[in-house]
Amino acid sequence: MRLLIIGFGNLGRGLVESLAEKKSFLYRRFGLKPRVVGVVDDSGAATNNKGLDWRLLVKKAYQKAKVSAFPNYKRISAVEAIESVECEIVFELTPTNIQTGEPGLTHIKKAMKAGRHVITSNKGPLVVAFRELEHLAKKQGVEFRYSASVGGAIPVIELARKLLAGNEVLEIQGVLNGTTNYILSRMAEEGAPFDQVLREAQELGIAEKDPTLDIEGIDTAAKLVILSNAILGRDVKFKDVRRTGIARITPQAIKLAKETGNTIKLVGVATRQTVEVSPKLVPLGHPLAVGGTLNAVNFKLDLAREISITGFGAGPRETSSSLLGDLIDVCRTIA
Amino acid sequence: MLVKLVMELEDIPGQLLRALEPIARYGGNIQSIIHQREHKTPLGRVPVTLIFEIEDQSRLKRVLNALKSRNVLVTQVGEEVYTVKQTVILLGHIVHADIRTLVDRINSITGTRVMDLSLAMGGPRKESAARLTILSDSDRHARKAISWLSEFCKQKDLLLITSVGGPP
Ligand SMILES: NC(=O)c1ccc[n+]([C@@H]2O[C@H](COP(=O)([O-])OP(=O)(O)OC[C@H]3O[C@@H](n4cnc5c(N)ncnc54)[C@H](OP(=O)(O)O)[C@@H]3O)[C@@H](O)[C@H]2O)c1
Repeated sequence: MRLLIIGFGNLGRGLVESLAEKKSFLYRRFGLKPRVVGVVDDSGAATNNKGLDWRLLVKKAYQKAKVSAFPNYKRISAVEAIESVECEIVFELTPTNIQTGEPGLTHIKKAMKAGRHVITSNKGPLVVAFRELEHLAKKQGVEFRYSASVGGAIPVIELARKLLAGNEVLEIQGVLNGTTNYILSRMAEEGAPFDQVLREAQELGIAEKDPTLDIEGIDTAAKLVILSNAILGRDVKFKDVRRTGIARITPQAIKLAKETGNTIKLVGVATRQTVEVSPKLVPLGHPLAVGGTLNAVNFKLDLAREISITGFGAGPRETSSSLLGDLIDVCRTIA
Repeated sequence: MLVKLVMELEDIPGQLLRALEPIARYGGNIQSIIHQREHKTPLGRVPVTLIFEIEDQSRLKRVLNALKSRNVLVTQVGEEVYTVKQTVILLGHIVHADIRTLVDRINSITGTRVMDLSLAMGGPRKESAARLTILSDSDRHARKAISWLSEFCKQKDLLLITSVGGPP
């Protein structure tokens, strides 16, 4: 199985490390022999149609090196790599842009048109062109997976689509952003004001220098769009999401919530009629009342009533769990 | 209005039906029936607790009269029973006049009452927080209270935080 990895950042490197670590496990368990025939970032591509040397890959990943640090790397674009490198599966792991979906959208389309199966963690293309990509994959007869795009390590989409397939999903509720959950959890524990906790989160590298995408609920909204389309079968666009962030939340508000056995979380809620992201009162002990940077999703279902799942919503090693899961699933499907 | 009624029935078949008939006749909508066989009275009667919705006081009176004429022993008639409890938090520049309007308005919605109100004033020029606990007798009235509240908060630029497990 030949893999082309577009994007050699946190996730690209994390994927390479997990693949190398699990090489013999993948062969023993599933008879899989993945070979990375190319890694690509903005600086160029390193390719080898027999598979790049695992030790070299792991070393460069560990050093957080750019692709330009690989011997014999070529100054070609991702699109050129997709068109010229022979492979079965393309991993699209470039940065998210929810306005245009680029560069991921072009990469995914090119890969599908070249007959490659695609696995992505990139929310951008899914938010901008979910139906279009699903149709294209079908038309081209290729597999398309995006488990890592929502919930990091948590198999949210697969859980709903496969294991709960006999149910009608009535409602999806999710704490889908680790940064805001960390901020709200710390505010609840310490009684500290928002600005102070945000600064602390930035110093710890949990929040970005520009935290807008997280605290205004944009990241959560993007994930909710994907869940609505993938699980509820809707055709929701980003602009359809009613959205309120967490910047106005004060320690007093959290204290008032606590006195009645609640806490405040940034929650995305999707039903057949509505898609909304806003701070919500969550009873302590409710499946969504998770602390730290954890994510959680609660499904309301016609038969099972409620099913919830919790886990790490980000991190290269954690998220590689979803990427590997998708890889194995694609291989099983096409076998 | 929602009514809670306790009666004592003889422990022979057909008694319950006889007691329910007048409620249905006057448009009542029964929500729950609890038999308390384990609490039989010394005379061998079984206490039964009914909760039902009925249009108004005058219809309730007619129901009670009908029960009396059928010799059904009613031991207790309760006022409304609130079945839905919602906690919400409001954030923003909340002034006292707003709070008064808010409570009066919610209390004026049928089957809905503000049970508890807690305020945490922010410092000067800081936003304040208020917590309200609202009781309602049905999901419909609970939704009505929330939808009125969100309209109010929009107008006053307040942030309304509702509960994740709110009424459907
Ligand atoms: N990090 C997580 O835990 C996590 C979890 C779930 C989903 N995601 C999503 O997964 C994606 C990747 O995340 P990440 O944390 O790995 O991001 P990242 O560290 O910023 O890495 C992005 C990679 O994409 C490369 N890239 C950018 N533009 C490119 C282009 N036009 N052609 C080829 N490569 C290009 C970058 O190369 P340069 O360095 O040369 O610019 C970099 O190697 C994002 O969409 C993110 O939202 C991340």
